[in-house]
Parts: sequence; structure tokens; C-alpha cells
Amino acid sequence: MTPFRVALLLVALCGVAAWQVTVIPESLMQMTVGPVLAPGVIVGALSVFAVLYGVSAWRGRQADESQAPDQSPLPGANARVLSLLGGGVAFIALVIPLGFVIPGTLCGMGVAHAFDAPLNLKSAGICAAIASTFWFVFAQLLGVGLGPALPWLI
Amino acid sequence: MEAFDALMGGFAIALQPTTLMWGFVGCFVGTLVGVLPGIGPALTIALLLPLTYHVPATSMFVMFAGIYYGAAYGGSTTSILLNTPGESAAVVTALEGNKMARRGRAGQALATAAIGSFVAGTIGTLALTFVAPWVVEAALAFGPAEYFSLMVLSVVAVSAVLGNSMLRGLVALGLGLLLGMIGVDLQTGQPRFTFGRPELLDGIEVTVAAVGLFAVGEALYLAWQGRESKTGEVMKLSGSLWMSKSDWARSWKPWFRGALFGFPIGAMPAGGAELPTLLSYYTEKKLSKHPEEFGHGAIEGVAGPEAANNAAAAGVLMPLLTLGIPTSATAAIMLSAFEGYGIQTGPQLFSQQGSLVWTLIASLYIGNVILLVLNLPLVSLWVKLLKIPPPWLYAGIIVISTAGVYGAGNSVFNVGLLFVFGLLGYIMRRFDFPAAPLIVGLILAPLGEQSMRQALTISQGEWSTFFTRPLSGSLMAIAALLLIGPALWRQLRAKTSS
Repeated sequence: MTPFRVALLLVALCGVAAWQVTVIPESLMQMTVGPVLAPGVIVGALSVFAVLYGVSAWRGRQADESQAPDQSPLPGANARVLSLLGGGVAFIALVIPLGFVIPGTLCGMGVAHAFDAPLNLKSAGICAAIASTFWFVFAQLLGVGLGPALPWLI
Repeated sequence: MEAFDALMGGFAIALQPTTLMWGFVGCFVGTLVGVLPGIGPALTIALLLPLTYHVPATSMFVMFAGIYYGAAYGGSTTSILLNTPGESAAVVTALEGNKMARRGRAGQALATAAIGSFVAGTIGTLALTFVAPWVVEAALAFGPAEYFSLMVLSVVAVSAVLGNSMLRGLVALGLGLLLGMIGVDLQTGQPRFTFGRPELLDGIEVTVAAVGLFAVGEALYLAWQGRESKTGEVMKLSGSLWMSKSDWARSWKPWFRGALFGFPIGAMPAGGAELPTLLSYYTEKKLSKHPEEFGHGAIEGVAGPEAANNAAAAGVLMPLLTLGIPTSATAAIMLSAFEGYGIQTGPQLFSQQGSLVWTLIASLYIGNVILLVLNLPLVSLWVKLLKIPPPWLYAGIIVISTAGVYGAGNSVFNVGLLFVFGLLGYIMRRFDFPAAPLIVGLILAPLGEQSMRQALTISQGEWSTFFTRPLSGSLMAIAALLLIGPALWRQLRAKTSS
């Protein structure tokens, strides 16, 4: 990923947004300003900023922290990012069938692994304790609907 | 004098042990929900509504007020320590507060936030006691045109948080405004940018975006770097945890100015706590003798917005009690609690339920003291969080953020959005885009558009309405002055010096 690719992503996003502006249904109500004006103006302005950013990035004037000496990533950066995101995906996929604690534990383990914690029993134990504590505070003390703690309680 | 006597009567009831106990429970629960991301006071009070069948009205409202004030206090803690705003009004606090914490000044940031909250909360409550009718009258003079002008002024204030590059700041602001357009158009009922997903019809929750960009984004960025786990600690703490003489000197004026922003804007319908925190941050940045510290941990940038946030909480109660108008989600739920007890809020409330109202107001003063006593000693406890090894600390942050977002709406889709915003936050952090303008844009876009269209409907399409109405025109003039003034001033100074 480079600043120029970020600019391309932004331009693509503006393209999708512009298409979405064109598919906003016509309102049957008579009004001075309809539902299209504000989104249209915003998409237009963002497109201009995105192009300006792209031009500036093309000229090599935009920042990328990975090039800075004290900010550059250590080896294995992508694996760490994927591990953290994997934890999130595990939570999303499993929270409805398995209740809160097991997906919460897996999510925590993914995050901890992204910070170089090994995937072992100790890690699982700590993350299970974290997930159980938060489930207790949210669901039991505050009455927030997090669903059951464990699958056999569903 | 009449108000003073009635207030003393309120204190007599509020200081009874049972009422005090409910106040303490409210403050404690409020602080807890403020600290937890995603779970706001509105949801907590809604969950506690069934208690209204079992507990006397006075005790219940004293507890609700404690929750409301406590949430405003607690929201700053995770913003400062973990860059994870517990609520949208605490986003601005994270900008300088977390930078202060990263410079080893977490204790001072938490202390100025707690004391500022106390000062502003007390000023707000004093105003609620003595000047309520006038402030409400002024707040109600704000029509859609004035709101739109206020939004324009707030957009100008965003320039304070644009970061190192104006272009990147504007891209972030544009993205925020675009995201703010997602959902059903409230005036015509037409869906916009929803891609046919029913989950997007209500728009994007500000809390989901804020927690994703700040908490998940920060964790992703630090994981990508991979340096945090090598040092073995998240932040270094150095020196005393308490505020020095210089910290006090730099904090007290922002506390008062923040209260002046927070209270009247909080009292306006749809005023909220986000706008005053942003305006306070902008003002402090402009007035500070150390503007170079902004963006690196300026104490004024924590003191002012935190004070504005808490004063806004007091402001919100004013139209609720005096006119029966709820101006926030929390106020709306408190209104339904009043109705649950068969109490009609509005102009008659003070005469018909004087004892209840004055006890509630007295309990706000007491609640402020309870919160200060509760929060200041906790400063040293909170900063110990930073000693937790990075893998477990960040596991805790992400799990609590996920639980907060999932619990708030029971929506797996929102958890997905949380991680999408996290990824966006990581990209923005890596390529030096500031996150705050995105959040501000997300908040301002729907409010601004609504106000603009309502104003134009009232004026039958006359765009000049924004400039010809005295209050709206004045706000526009201030916005123009703030936009052009600094550049003109710099040119003038350059000319005189050359």
C-alpha cells in the first residue's frame, strides 16, 4: 500500500458514491431542497480532494509511516494485522451459535497473538477470563443483552 | 431568594442516607458506563426503567441524574488512557488526552478532566438553579437557520483538528460527511447509500465509528508496527501523577470557557455535547500561549472539552425540567420515566412537583462532589492499567469494544462495521490522515442537512434566510471572521514587519 494506491481507493469510493447519488429515489414530495443536493455536493467535494491528494501522492509529497525510520514495521507486520482481524472475524462468525465467551476468547487470542503472545493454553485462559469478566459486567451487572455466556446455555 | 429556599429544602431531602445511597449508586454505575465503550447513559437508564415500579420517584431520578453525570465523567478515562472514547462527546478529549498519556502525563490529564468536569458540572447546575427560564428562552430562539449557521461555525472549528496537512484533513472531513449521509432521509423517507442493507437505514452509529477508528485502528496500527510488545509496556509514566502549579494555571480558564460553551448549547434542542467540545477545543487552541503543544498533548485541549461535555449534561436537563422537551436520547428516556410515575414535565413541574425537582437539582450538586471524590482517587488506579502487558491490554480493549458495540444494538453487522472502521483507522493512521474530522463530519452532516432543508422550507427557498435573520447572520459572520481573520491578520503582520 502506498499513498497513490490510497488515492486510487478514494477515487474508486467517490465513483461508487456518485453512482449511489444517482440511484437515490425521486421524492414525490414538493420541496425546495430534495434528498440529492447535500450528498451530491459532498461527493463532488470529496472527489476534488481525492484527486488533489492523488496528484500530490503521484509527486511523492504524501506521508507513509512505513517509510519513517522510527515508525517502520518490524518483520511479520501483515501476519500480525491479519491475526487481529481474524479475532474479529471469529467473533462475528461465532457469537450467535456459541454465545459470548468462546468467541470473545478467540477474539482476544487473535489480538494478543498480534502483539506476539503465543497461541497456547495460558493465552486461552487469560482471554477467557477477560471475556467472562466483561460478559459478567455487561450482561449481569448492567443488564445489557450480550446473549448467553456459553453455547449450552442457549 | 425563593429558588434558594427551595434548593435548601431539596438538599434536606437529598442528604438523607437513602437518597444519598441512590445518588452514589447512580454515580458509580454512570462512571462505569462512561468508561465502557458503546454503552451510554441512555441505554443504561432505559434498562433500569422497570425499577420505576418499585422505587420512589425521588430516589429513582436522583440515581438517573447520577448515571447521567457519571457517564460524562467516565467517558474521559478510556479516551485519555487507551485512546478509546467511551462516548462520542469524549472523542475530542482523546486528541490531546491520549497524547498527554503517551508523554507520561496520564495522571495530570485525568485530574484536569475530573476537576474540570466538577467545575463545569457545578456551574451548569448553578445555572440550572438560577437562570433556567432565560437560557431556555434564548435556546428556543434557535430555529433551523440558526442551527445551520451553528453547524457552519462548527465546520470552521474543525480546522483546529485538521492535523499536519489541510488536504488530508479535508479528505477525512469529506469522508465523515459522506458517511453521515448514509441512511434514510428523514424528510422524504428515501434511503441513501444503503446498498439495500436494512442495517444501514438508521445510519452509522457515531460510537461504532469512533471506537473503531480510535481503539481498533490504534490496536491494528500498533500490531502492524510490532514495536509495542518489544518494549513490554504501553506507555511510560514519569514524575508525579498530580497537577503542578503550571497545570492548574493552564487549566482553570479552559474549565470556565468550556462550561460557557457546554451549558447553553446543551440546553438547545439537538445541541448535544459534541459541538461544544469541538468549539471549546478550537477556542483553547486559538487562545493558548502554547499552541505548538496542541497535537502533542496540551492540557488546555483536555480541560476545555471535558468541561464543555459536563456542562452540556446539565444544560440538557434544563429544557426537560422547565418545558418538558427532551433534547437528547437520555433526556427522552428520563421523560418516559417521569411519565411512568404519572408526572407531567413542563412549566407546571416546579409548582406541582417542587419537592422532587429541587431534590433532583440538589442531588446534582451532591453528585458532582461524589463524582470528584470517586474519580480523583481512582486516577492512580486507572493509570495502573497502563502497566498491563500489551497483548493482554489490547485483547481487553478489543474485547470490551466488541462487547460494547454488540451489546448496544445486539447487531453482528455493527461489530463488522467496528472492524471495518478499525481498518480505516489503521490506514488513516499509517498515511497520516486525522481521525477527528471524520467523526465531526459524521456528526455534523445529518444535523446540518436537516437544519438547512428545514430553514429553506420555512423561508420558501430563500437562501438569504441564513444571513438576514439576526442570530443566524451573526453566527455566519463569526464563522467568516474565523475563516478569513487569521489569514488577514498574518498578512497584515507580515506587511508591518517588512
